[in-house]
Amino acid sequence: MEIIELINVKREFKILNRREGIAGGIKDLFSRDYRYLSAVDDISLKIKKGEIVGYLGPNGAGKSTTIKMMTGILEPTSGKVLVNGKEPYRNRIENAQDIGVVFGQRSQLWWSLPLKESFKVLKEIYQVSDKDYKDMLDLYMSLIDIKNLWDKPVRQMSLGQRTLSDILAAFLHNPSVVYLDEPTIGLDVSMKSKIQEFIKGLNSQKATTIILTTHDMGDVDALCNRIVIIDKGKKLYDDNIENLHKMFGMYRIMKICFSKDVGELDYDSLKDKAAELEKELQENFSGDDMTVSVDEGWIDILMNEEDVSLMEVMNFIQSKQHIYNIKLEEISTEKVIKKIYEGGTIL
Amino acid sequence: MKKRNVKFYLAIYFKIISQDIKSKLSYRVDFIISTMGILFTNIAGFITFWIIFKNFDNINDWNYYEILFLYGFSLMALTPTQCLFDNNWNLRDYVYSGDFIKYCFRPIDLYFYYISEIFDLKGIGEFMMGVGIIVYAWINLKYSVTILGILALIVMWIAASLVMAGIMNIAAATCFWMNNSGYVMVTVFKFTEYTKYPIDIFNKGFRIFFSFIIPIAFVTYYPSMVVLNSHNLPILTIIAPIFSVLFFYISYRIWMFGASRYNGTGT
Amino acid sequence: MKKYLVLIRTGIMDKLNFRVSLIVTFVGNIIYLITIYFLWKAIYLSSGKETVNGMTFNDTMIYLVLATALFNMMEIFLVWYMGNQVRSGKIVFDLIKPIKFGLYMFFGQLGEVVVNFVVIFLPTVVIVYIVTGGGILAGKNILLFFVAMILAFIINYCINMLVAALCLFTESSWGINIMKEVIVSVLSGKSIPLAFFPNSIKSIVELLPFQAVYNTPLTMLINNNLSVENYVKMFGMQILWLMVLLCGAVWFWKYSLRRVTINGG
Repeated sequence: MEIIELINVKREFKILNRREGIAGGIKDLFSRDYRYLSAVDDISLKIKKGEIVGYLGPNGAGKSTTIKMMTGILEPTSGKVLVNGKEPYRNRIENAQDIGVVFGQRSQLWWSLPLKESFKVLKEIYQVSDKDYKDMLDLYMSLIDIKNLWDKPVRQMSLGQRTLSDILAAFLHNPSVVYLDEPTIGLDVSMKSKIQEFIKGLNSQKATTIILTTHDMGDVDALCNRIVIIDKGKKLYDDNIENLHKMFGMYRIMKICFSKDVGELDYDSLKDKAAELEKELQENFSGDDMTVSVDEGWIDILMNEEDVSLMEVMNFIQSKQHIYNIKLEEISTEKVIKKIYEGGTIL
Repeated sequence: MKKRNVKFYLAIYFKIISQDIKSKLSYRVDFIISTMGILFTNIAGFITFWIIFKNFDNINDWNYYEILFLYGFSLMALTPTQCLFDNNWNLRDYVYSGDFIKYCFRPIDLYFYYISEIFDLKGIGEFMMGVGIIVYAWINLKYSVTILGILALIVMWIAASLVMAGIMNIAAATCFWMNNSGYVMVTVFKFTEYTKYPIDIFNKGFRIFFSFIIPIAFVTYYPSMVVLNSHNLPILTIIAPIFSVLFFYISYRIWMFGASRYNGTGT
Repeated sequence: MKKYLVLIRTGIMDKLNFRVSLIVTFVGNIIYLITIYFLWKAIYLSSGKETVNGMTFNDTMIYLVLATALFNMMEIFLVWYMGNQVRSGKIVFDLIKPIKFGLYMFFGQLGEVVVNFVVIFLPTVVIVYIVTGGGILAGKNILLFFVAMILAFIINYCINMLVAALCLFTESSWGINIMKEVIVSVLSGKSIPLAFFPNSIKSIVELLPFQAVYNTPLTMLINNNLSVENYVKMFGMQILWLMVLLCGAVWFWKYSLRRVTINGG
């Protein structure tokens, strides 16, 4: 059953062109000049109950605009959004009863209230029954240790604790959809994995649908079965992660080290070397998407095995310079996404 | 699902306020400095006023105690705006930084949710001062004390407070349309200083302006007439309670309209 | 010097970006002035006298109109800004800039004041001059007024800087700021001309720095019977306070920073 459905959704904004300099500032006082921008351009999407969907895209791709339409605070210019069969922007309050929202850096909790008091207020707002409330808290206790948060006012919490509290609050009324916007931004590694585990646990226990927007591929790898990538308002990719990797399955990263002691090479000279090598490789081999980059003393060559042979590339480099060490790696999700953003092609 | 009626909102409101006061009391320094700030403002206002009356013995046939009564009433009428609606002053920052969006996802009225977040204790000092001044003026004016009179005063006080809150709602809501609406709030708030003076010092045009465009006359002058001119109530005093409810409702609609418009711009 | 010019330019551009705020301030001031016009007219009419404390209704109005314009021109939101920066922790970014914080803020504010002078003060003076048919003198007093105004701006800035430094110690910048505003607005003669003050209070207020901000420049602009001795006394007072406050502000800012960094904010 589809819990969220987007049908040819489009959203445009009017934007003011500011002129430059003092003279421009004076001109702006008297006349204003607008242009139109499509933040979301004809996107269709179906999301099933219980799915965790990674909603990805570079900054300004239209992610938050889509989320705003799904949460009911923004109306599409054309097309239709359905959440639980209803258009959220037609009835924001009814929709809000059944969703949870978390912004990584904007706490929605009462700044000066201890967490337990915030929860009591939320219980009233969402009209959660005593039993459901208690059940949910028990579930929380079974998944994560929250004792040390319980009596603390939000203003005294660390960023990690605050984010965790916000996530707890978002699930408190057992919503059918939870939107997580950069939930792990700025957090340390252990807090990140703690939060990822917690979200996964809730999703499997309550079959909550989760829409996750993030720039952190660690979150995506840990949580999402499916990813949707958009850029410039258009959908570029919509499938599971395995297929994404398969699509780039023939891509390999060859890591080469030219020196015994990695530490003695300085970054600038390596960088020059990488640029030079990239030029040479592109001249000598047919694969036009070969890129060379630097990674802590190593030089990374990204190549598509369908186009070029690994051995040939290795021999080519060997003929010019002595290779001290070599490694082969599968392409990471992060690199895949980066390639999609850079390419901008619809897959 | 229970219906979200007035009772529901009141229950939530008192829950938030009682928690908030509890936690605020633990920040005592802030409370003391802020309260002193409020008292300073009012003492200064009083000095200004006293200096004028040192040089002149009446304004438009209103004597010192009558003007003092207006002054006390205006302090009382400003208090609810100060205590209950103070978050309006932060609206501009929230909108400007984009943080306003965090208020938009709760299944309750957006305006209520936003305003309920802050309860500002420091207004209480102002209220006490207002009551003190009114009592002092009342005694010196040698008016009799009747239950009906006090009841009428309370009704008028509520009406006046609603108008004041409404004015600040609209002033705050301007930030949904313009960048630097801090100036609007400051400017409008400055006018409240002039609520203390009798409206009949103005010519007809400005009486209309201050009655219906920026209705500060409904914050002090008209409501106060229920005591100062009880034998000959102006028509606008009689309609003040209805006017205030209507005005507050309109201000609420404007605020909500602005909020929906703000989200539409995607900032 | 170039970096200071850049700061002033940025201040000017910031200001221009906010056309609505300029319009609102302008309209707000007009209404405000109309309000005080009616108020004082009523006051003078009720008294039945032409002159009170040596000031006619016209004198009082000219004084108050110009005081309002001067106030709007020199209004700076330093304390408010500091409070916000301290609360959000962004103050660190201001402090690590390779330029002294006091100077950094000063030149930014100066840019705004230059705009304010052109769009607020100058038109007001011209309008008052035309409406009153020469109620303001035009002669050497303009020059003296200018000097007094610049001194007043620096004094005002120092007062603000002193108060802003307090924000490093407490998060209650709201209360601190409002107390400062109230004290300045009453004791500087901005709300009521100092001439109306009872003599005992007046003699104290005249010794304080606040009257040097609004009362001194305005008196120089309006009053045409000032003796050389008066000028010397007024400038002397301004310069004295400027030095005291400047040293005080610099010292207190340094002291506060040291105290706060030692305590780790």
